[in-house]
Amino acid sequence: MLSVKGLKATVGDKEILRGLDLEVGPGEVHAIMGPNGSGKSTFAHVLSGREGYEVTAGSAKLDGTDLFELDPEERARLGLFLAFQYPVELPGVNNMYFLKAALNAIRKSRGEDELDAVSFMRLMKEKLKVLHLDDSLLKRPVNFGFSGGEKKRNEIFQMAMLEPKLAILDETDSGLDIDALRIVADGVNALRSPERSMIVVTHYQRLLDYIEPDYVHVLAKGQIIRSGGKELALELEEKGYGWIVDGEAA
Amino acid sequence: MSAAANSSRQQTEAAEAFAGWLQGLSGGAAVDATSSGTAQDWLAAERQQAAERVRAQAVPTGKSESWRYTGLRSLIDQGFVQVDESLTALTPDDIEEILVPGLDAHRAVLVNGRYSEALSDLGTLPRGVRVGSLQRMIESDPDALQGVLTRIAGEGSHLFASLNTAAMQDGLVLLLERGALLERPIEVIHLSVGMEEPRVAQPRHLISLGDGAQAQVIERYVSLGDALYCTNSVLELSLGRDALLKHARVQQESPNAFHITGLYLSQDANSHYAGVNIGLGGTWARTDLVTRFSGEHAECDLQGLYLAGDKQLIDYHMDVRHGLPNCSSRERFKGILYGKGRAVFDGLVYVARDAQKTDAAMSNRNLILSANAEVDTKPQLEIYADDVKCSHGTTVGQIEPEMLFYLRSRGISASLARRMLCLGFAGEIIEALGPEALRDYVTEQVGERLERAPLD
Repeated sequence: MLSVKGLKATVGDKEILRGLDLEVGPGEVHAIMGPNGSGKSTFAHVLSGREGYEVTAGSAKLDGTDLFELDPEERARLGLFLAFQYPVELPGVNNMYFLKAALNAIRKSRGEDELDAVSFMRLMKEKLKVLHLDDSLLKRPVNFGFSGGEKKRNEIFQMAMLEPKLAILDETDSGLDIDALRIVADGVNALRSPERSMIVVTHYQRLLDYIEPDYVHVLAKGQIIRSGGKELALELEEKGYGWIVDGEAA
Repeated sequence: MSAAANSSRQQTEAAEAFAGWLQGLSGGAAVDATSSGTAQDWLAAERQQAAERVRAQAVPTGKSESWRYTGLRSLIDQGFVQVDESLTALTPDDIEEILVPGLDAHRAVLVNGRYSEALSDLGTLPRGVRVGSLQRMIESDPDALQGVLTRIAGEGSHLFASLNTAAMQDGLVLLLERGALLERPIEVIHLSVGMEEPRVAQPRHLISLGDGAQAQVIERYVSLGDALYCTNSVLELSLGRDALLKHARVQQESPNAFHITGLYLSQDANSHYAGVNIGLGGTWARTDLVTRFSGEHAECDLQGLYLAGDKQLIDYHMDVRHGLPNCSSRERFKGILYGKGRAVFDGLVYVARDAQKTDAAMSNRNLILSANAEVDTKPQLEIYADDVKCSHGTTVGQIEPEMLFYLRSRGISASLARRMLCLGFAGEIIEALGPEALRDYVTEQVGERLERAPLD
């Protein structure tokens, strides 16, 4: 599904990603862990097409299509979804209107008809329930005045609505208390399917208790330096990152 | 010849051209008014004096502060001549296309500054409410106008208002008696239709609410086609004690129109005025909003939204005078500029020494979508009282790349994302417009303009 080869990317003069390789198959959940500044968020942003990063080498293909040839909206229409670490507040932009515009843009690119108002409402209500979100959220501006937990749940709600092929969850656990974390994780788990892959970017092992990954990768200094099964996460939790990162450096 | 001398010579020429043009417009009309034989003496005298003020008044140049950003040359160059006949050929079918779908309102229609009985659809008006043609009222019941018409705009007002006073022939009159209640809004459509020669219409409107009266007025300035014309209108508004007026104004004229409005507001004690000004059309549009309080505890709320693109100058001037204690005023204007659009926001709140406990807040926020667009924003507070709450703020910014990326990352195209963010920015002003049908209509109008806007 996703194939990343030799990816290098810079911000300004600084090289953040230094030859990153990653293969994600259909239905797989990959966790990317690493210390602060290792390039985890940069990787998520580069894949989704945020400005301010320059890809200097390597490739990233989603089902064979070169992502770096596409605008962010084209990547989204292809089935890529980024759950933001810091969801952006959009004052004055109604949440429901926003979701409708997004869903219809994606459906249109797939050659599907726009959803009629009734089906759209039904779909929304169904997905809201999974995330324990209130209907009133739909009438509010996107993320505006939302609590930290509401913002994160709103990200997963959007993901549920847009049904991506590949979802990247960027530090989705940050700022969540244990109850909110469980709701978010339940929402994510409900979306797991043999056709949908996920990349879970996180600093802590905690999230992985709830969203169980198939693979765990350790990212340090812009490269994946260790890959393994979910037990690797437990080892990291116990020993910290030092033993791998320093071991690599030595 | 030096550049300075050259520019000074050009200024003199411009001033002379302008003076000549003004006198052509005011002089002819003044004669017309007195010779008609129906106007009352007091009104004839007012017009005569106004015509003299036009002659005596210095022509505004780039050096006069309130005209610094609003060049008059393009206006003078059009050679506008006064509209002197009314246009009666239009039928209700002709104006179908300019109506707001689903808006439930009493409707008054003026064409090229003249009240049209044929196009108006007032329905049944409640007791104590009179709506109609100014010309008719001057003829039939001038006493109802005395002491109000021309009194609110006053003598010290600026040139174009004097010109209007000298030349006025018709316009809209809305009178609410003490305690009268107009529950259904009244929509006033100012329709302009292009003539063979470029014309200037100088309508004069009067809205007067007696003590405790309440009304909702929706004014729309619209055109048929891309007509080139000029409207120099003056609107006098008088609010009695405890009166409430909700006033939406939507200027959506042809891209070739020149638009001048002087809105003069007089508010008595405990009255509340809520005005929302939407400026979308015209090539050169200037609005002066002037407020005076004649009683304490009055509230004046002025909001606005303007959009200016290529070949557009949209210009708002506010002059809010707090001469008495305990009144409040709020000005909240937002602008979206794109292409080579230009806008001016010049707001003055003046608080006299005796106007203690004044509560005044002014803000102007602008969103600039292109490198070639420009806004000159100048909020000013002049405060001579020492126990007041006054604030002002102004911002000029661009669309946040973060916000744009967020929308695009959800599959929304860059152009739609931009439009959504602009509408989000404009939303709180549009919300204040009142009836849902009008809000939806204006949202659509704004959206259409943004859709056509060049992305730099």
